[in-house]
Amino acid sequence: MSRMVSAAVSLSLLAASVAAATPAFAGKADDTLVATFAAQLPSLDRFYAPGREGFLLGLLIYDTLIYRDTQTFELKSLLATDWKWIDEKTLELHLRKGVTFHNGDPFTAKDVAYTFNFAADPKNKVFDRITSAWIERVEVIDDYTVRLHASKVTPLALQYIVQVPMMPADHREKIGLQAFSEQPVGTGPYKVAGKKGSDIVFERFDSYFDGGPKTKPEIKTLVYRTVPDVNTQVAELARGGVDWAWYIPADQAERLAAIPTVTVVNAPTFRIGFLTMDAAGLATPDGPLTDTRVRQAINHAIDRQAIAKTLIGGSAEPIRSACNPIQFGCEQDVKDYAYEPQRAKQLLAEAGFADGFDIDIYGFRSRPVAEAIVGYLGAVGIRANLVWQQYSAVVQQRRDRKAALVIDDFGSSGIADAGAPTKFYFNGAPDDQSRDAEVDAWLEEAGSTNDADSRKQAFSAAFKRIADQAYWTPLFTMPINYVMSAELEGPVPKDENVEFWKYHWK
Amino acid sequence: MKNFLIRRVLMALMVLLTISFISFVMLKVSGDLAISLAGENAGADYVDFLRKTYGWDRPLYIQYGDWLWNALHGNLGASFYYGKQVMALVAERMPVTLKLGALATGLAIAAAIPMGMAAGIRPGSLVDRIVLFIALLGGATPIFWTSFLLILVLGLNLRWLPITGGTDMQHLIMPALALSFYSMPAIIRIVRSGMVDVMASDYIRTARAKGLRGPAIYFRHALRNTLVPVVAVASVQFGFLLGGSVVVENIFAINGIGYLTWEAINQNDYPVVQASVLTVSAAYVVLTLFADLVNRAIDPRIRLE
Amino acid sequence: MTASTPLVADDQPSLSRSRLPTAGPGLWVGGAILLLTVLLAIFAPLLAPHSPYAQSLAERLIKPVFMGGTWDHPLGTDHLGRDVLSRLIYGSRMSLAVGFGTILISAVLGIGLGLAAGFRGGRTDAFVVFLLTVRLSLPIMLAAIALNGLLGNSLGLMMLILAFFLWDQFLVVSRALAMRLKNAEFVLAARAAGFSDFHIIVREVLPNMTGPLVIVATLEMAHAIMLESALSFLGLGIRPPAASWGLMIAEAKDFVYFEAWLVNIPGFAIFTLVAGITLFGEGLRTVFENAGGR
Repeated sequence: MSRMVSAAVSLSLLAASVAAATPAFAGKADDTLVATFAAQLPSLDRFYAPGREGFLLGLLIYDTLIYRDTQTFELKSLLATDWKWIDEKTLELHLRKGVTFHNGDPFTAKDVAYTFNFAADPKNKVFDRITSAWIERVEVIDDYTVRLHASKVTPLALQYIVQVPMMPADHREKIGLQAFSEQPVGTGPYKVAGKKGSDIVFERFDSYFDGGPKTKPEIKTLVYRTVPDVNTQVAELARGGVDWAWYIPADQAERLAAIPTVTVVNAPTFRIGFLTMDAAGLATPDGPLTDTRVRQAINHAIDRQAIAKTLIGGSAEPIRSACNPIQFGCEQDVKDYAYEPQRAKQLLAEAGFADGFDIDIYGFRSRPVAEAIVGYLGAVGIRANLVWQQYSAVVQQRRDRKAALVIDDFGSSGIADAGAPTKFYFNGAPDDQSRDAEVDAWLEEAGSTNDADSRKQAFSAAFKRIADQAYWTPLFTMPINYVMSAELEGPVPKDENVEFWKYHWK
Repeated sequence: MKNFLIRRVLMALMVLLTISFISFVMLKVSGDLAISLAGENAGADYVDFLRKTYGWDRPLYIQYGDWLWNALHGNLGASFYYGKQVMALVAERMPVTLKLGALATGLAIAAAIPMGMAAGIRPGSLVDRIVLFIALLGGATPIFWTSFLLILVLGLNLRWLPITGGTDMQHLIMPALALSFYSMPAIIRIVRSGMVDVMASDYIRTARAKGLRGPAIYFRHALRNTLVPVVAVASVQFGFLLGGSVVVENIFAINGIGYLTWEAINQNDYPVVQASVLTVSAAYVVLTLFADLVNRAIDPRIRLE
Repeated sequence: MTASTPLVADDQPSLSRSRLPTAGPGLWVGGAILLLTVLLAIFAPLLAPHSPYAQSLAERLIKPVFMGGTWDHPLGTDHLGRDVLSRLIYGSRMSLAVGFGTILISAVLGIGLGLAAGFRGGRTDAFVVFLLTVRLSLPIMLAAIALNGLLGNSLGLMMLILAFFLWDQFLVVSRALAMRLKNAEFVLAARAAGFSDFHIIVREVLPNMTGPLVIVATLEMAHAIMLESALSFLGLGIRPPAASWGLMIAEAKDFVYFEAWLVNIPGFAIFTLVAGITLFGEGLRTVFENAGGR
């Protein structure tokens, strides 16, 4: 008996001694910034890495021709030193000389042509084709001069260029897409050093060019760690096991702020939350959502003010139009649906749903917000069943015409123009659930001229119609919480494009 | 022995075949692969073209045969989300889950054998009650709750163990503890009841009559008596842990097969889902086959039912 | 999820051998917990102080009364301002529904197959044993989340999916008993009197199996409740806005390091119910064994 007890004791001692050899924490000591993200990167090739994480990846290992300042949104030269419109549809750019990719290949006009051609080709199925699809042809004038020929007038052209990472033409073709997705090569400030468990390790690119708006990183190693459970992210932040996280929900951020070893920053984004509704009956022909009164009832049923203040927190504000108020052309003088559950019930009754109805509602981002919306809908009699999936799966089901009601949000890729959300959600796009000819006509007009006044007028008409018909339930702006180690210092962007190369230890 | 071996292996193969069929049906039920593969904005022509290229327009039994043939060559198609071969993904993620499962099973056995024996020596004693209470706790505490407590105590308060970020021993201890606490009760009960039988056996009675005392006599005899069921239960538990680790992989951010499956489900990435179910099942079948052979070697009296 | 004991071990130690010290306290405590939960579920509308769905973002995260809250919300409110006590009371319905519903389906499945195998023997038996081996080879958690993701998740589907994985013990036990009873005197007598197999099984055999099967049922019920909570935790269980204990934990889990009570209350409820059912089942077993059970 005593022997057994001693065996048990020695076992636990063993466990303790293994534990005592406590590992290196992330941080200043080994010049390693460990950043956590909820989603895994399916590929390190930017063209196949969707979502916000894909964006950050693009900034880290790749560069774009034009850089957009993350505070002022001013456009600055990056891989292109200057650019000008030769005519309405032709843009000429001069490229920076002496820039090399991580593997030593020089960056030239050939790479620019390759990149845009690859991304624009529907066969390649890149994640965000819109940003290259406007280009009809890339003309290489010489090694350091290119002309982009647009197929039609494209007011957002420069905003698109800001998002397209330059790829090494020869290298990428030589090693193949599969290998490139594991060991990509760009001109960006960080290069891929390898994988370790679920960590992706990035290292400073020592030959990163000087003189541009992006600089050589101060911190040598950057670790991308996927931690799916927000809870675990919070525990690691509190403990100092990781240095940086974002999208931390308001409640947790508020409580983390009380811990002296971490800093919490609430920052605005272009992101807005909203519901898309199957007004055109794509998913369910003649479904309840095809009735304008039902969509209006949903607009009246949700207390967006309360959700914005309590669950989103920070500087979140309710919105009434299908765009972010800071975007150009985002008309604010539209029909406003106040929080009036009684009115919602009445509208439902008029539409023949006095007893409400059952519907699946799809969500992916913030579970508490989704639960609250389900609760509000339930209070007026709409029995919404929450289907919880990843972003890409939800979007796919809307495009496949299976999802009728989606709790969605959109970051506009940081574009300060109302054309960004409308291009994605109206105009007959795959995610357009209203398919309204009148709206489309106005948006077409706004999207095919460079004249600010006429664009503004066209947008205004489109957004008024969208609100009148209640095609969306606009919800709120979505500032996000960044939580970082108190030892870490770095700017927080206004467009979610985090610039890790500017981070340094205090 | 040879006869037994052949029958046992045949059985395992039949089971694998059936499971492969179930996986195949699962994949088929999950939706039209051609549409998923074609992606957004694809025309009906392109979808038809894909359907023909991949042979998805042929009768189901031919498709199954084809699929099985490919599966036997380690080719289960490509993931929609990762764009990679699913078998490559599974092979990448399997080792850490195996390691976690082995560690958890080891911990569970190491804790359960002494406890079960101590309890079985004198049924009804205080020690027995305490051990049974621990077994009750283990069986009724949800794994995620145990995990939270471990993170809170070992990770946050004492700071003994890292929470996330690696696949080495010290990163796996907390998740393995959470898993083993849950799989321990079954082993405790088996060891305990084996011990109870030993205590009532003639061997012990005779030994006692001869005046022999002390734990040594129980120990050797009891161990021999309980080894067979422990191996059997432990192998089942190990199989369970391979699948059951999905919860702890999620909490401790471990990039294993459980997390892969969970994420694939949320991405509607069904080729990955079916591949991981298939692989884990196959691992389990091989494992129980192995356990049977081991038990057969330990105790030749065991017959195949 | 106590593992299903595999067939290869030539006996069922977990059922026949373990002799628990006393039947008394465990049986009574377990039975009381189970009874109390059933009463809670039945009288939920009378007992719950508020609607379990009524949300009020203005009154969120109020602490329970023992932590300085008010009696208006004795167990506090959750992150949407819903009354935790009321959700707990209504949640008992979901947990019991999952528990009872699942074992009902799995019992029919498992006992049916077990009787067929035990009585007919030969090929039928070999086939059933094969089915059992296949079932045991499917990893419960992985396959359950796969099916949940595939088929969607409603209460009914959840029960079906869980039942699909939890019939093995019913089969093992009923098969063993059927083999033994097949040649029992009263069965032989009934057969000689010309009664049909169906009649014999329903009138003579099943009543003689209730004891061990009830024990299996309690253990599998505990198992089902645990699985439901794990699935809910992963976001693949019962859907909001329903109130289930697993779902309550899933919804509150992001608060575990700050407002631990929000997780601990439903966690403790699951623990108590599962422990209670287990105690009850093991208590029953002792009673049967002491009575010279079968």
